[in-house]
Order: sequence, then structure tokens, then C-alpha cells
Amino acid sequence: MNADIIQAALADITAEADPTPKHLKLASLVSAVFRERGIELVVVGGSAIEFYTEGAYVSGDLDMCVVAATTALTVRARQEIMATLLAKGGPRSWQVSGLFVDVLSAFENLARTPIRRLAGPWGEVQISPVEELIVERVLISKYPGDYPPAHECATKLLAAALLGEVECDWSEVRRLAQCNAYKNWNDVKELVHEHAQALQVRNPCDSDE
Amino acid sequence: MNTPKLSKSGIPAIPMNEPMSWEDWLAGRRTRRETGNRVAPEIIRRPSSSSDRRLRELFNGERGLPFKKTEEL
Repeated sequence: MNADIIQAALADITAEADPTPKHLKLASLVSAVFRERGIELVVVGGSAIEFYTEGAYVSGDLDMCVVAATTALTVRARQEIMATLLAKGGPRSWQVSGLFVDVLSAFENLARTPIRRLAGPWGEVQISPVEELIVERVLISKYPGDYPPAHECATKLLAAALLGEVECDWSEVRRLAQCNAYKNWNDVKELVHEHAQALQVRNPCDSDE
Repeated sequence: MNTPKLSKSGIPAIPMNEPMSWEDWLAGRRTRRETGNRVAPEIIRRPSSSSDRRLRELFNGERGLPFKKTEEL
């Protein structure tokens, strides 16, 4: 990706005032420049939820993790890559085109389902599997105490999945929720039941007992 | 890319095994927001987080850019 293309991309992203496409465009550009150095990133957290749900949840930062690398991602390499985007800051968080980008550590992922992919304007964006996001948000919504923001995220993710707006493997949701890392199947099942009723769709957990 | 599978709400589904086109993703934005609005408030941005200081400095006291209204998507 040459400097002219990057310059045009940065101008486009800077001018974008709508937070969700702004995050997705920036994720596409950041992914592209890291990919050129043999490093694959995945979007995690609030931005991932936003891309699945349009849920008006995301704030001003974009969190990405390393999902694969053919070379070591040293501090020097990170700074060099982000310098091509005229980024300020570091070594794990930078300001670019009016947002913060955090490139965190290795991707923590127990899901066996694929990382989802969106074709962004400057290259593919990889997104944390929806199955684990659902189970994780349900857990955070209940433990260590009730946490309404996580509950609202979980419900929006579940609604998108129940209506098929994102393809979801419900058997994987169940497996994850039953594994020792989460152990919250009853909470997940209850929420799925509640929202399947509210949305008047078949409860996918009914056929999964 | 293949013809996208449609959701029950009639928009291209974010697929499991293949990339979704930018155009298909854009086409579903309003419906995805409307689906979320059926189960939770329209805007669910957290009121605070550990990143508050830097976010509020960058976004004039807010934690991010304002969201478009559903009808504007």
C-alpha cells in the first residue's frame, strides 16, 4: 500500500463523522498495513459488537489483537507500522484519524467457529467470533455483579443472532457457556429463551438439549 | 462473493465462512439498529471506562462521536 493510497484513506477516515463506519474503515486500514508485515489482527470488544449489531455502543477507541504473525511484533515494528499511518503515541495505543487504536496482545479465543470477515475499503477486517462475544457479555453482565451495559450488549448480540443477521452456531454457544472458562450456560439459556419469545422466533436452544 | 444469505429481517447476514462485502454490510445497518432497539435502548454506550480521560479530551467531553439516529442510517 503506497503512501498516496494511505494518505487518501486517512483523509477519508478523518472526514467520516459516523462512528461505526469510521471504526470499520480504520480497522480495514490498520489491518492492511499490519498484514503487509505478516501480522494478522482481529477486532475485539466494543467495535466487534458494533459491527455485528449497529448497537450504538462503541466509544472512541478501536481494540485489536494479534491473531497470527509470521514475524515478531516488536515495539519497534509496531511503531514503524503505525508511523506509516501518521499515528501519534504508542507503544500499544495510538491516535489516528480522530480515533484511538489499541493493538493489544495475542487474541484470547476459545471459540471453534471462524473469525468473521468483512471486506473493508482497504482490505479485510477480521472480527471476534460472535458465539464467544455472546457468552462473554452474558458472563460480564452477571459477574462479579449485575452490569447493565454488558446485559444490553448481550441482548443486542442475541437479537442479531436470533434473527439471523449474523450466522451463529448455537451448539458452539452452548459448548462455550458450559466450559470451565465461562460456566454460565443457565444464564445464557435463560436470556436466549427470553429474547426468542420477545422476538417471536424459534428458540435455537430447544433443539440443542 | 456468493449471493448473500438473508436474515429473517431481510438483510444480508454476516456470514460464518466467507467475507461479507462492504456494500452488504452497509445495506443492513438500519435494520440491525432497529433489531437492537427492540430489545434494548437505542444508545448503550457505557457512561465511563478506564479510557475516559483520553476519550473525553479527544471528543469534547464525550466518550466518542455522536451516533446517527436510526432513521438517518
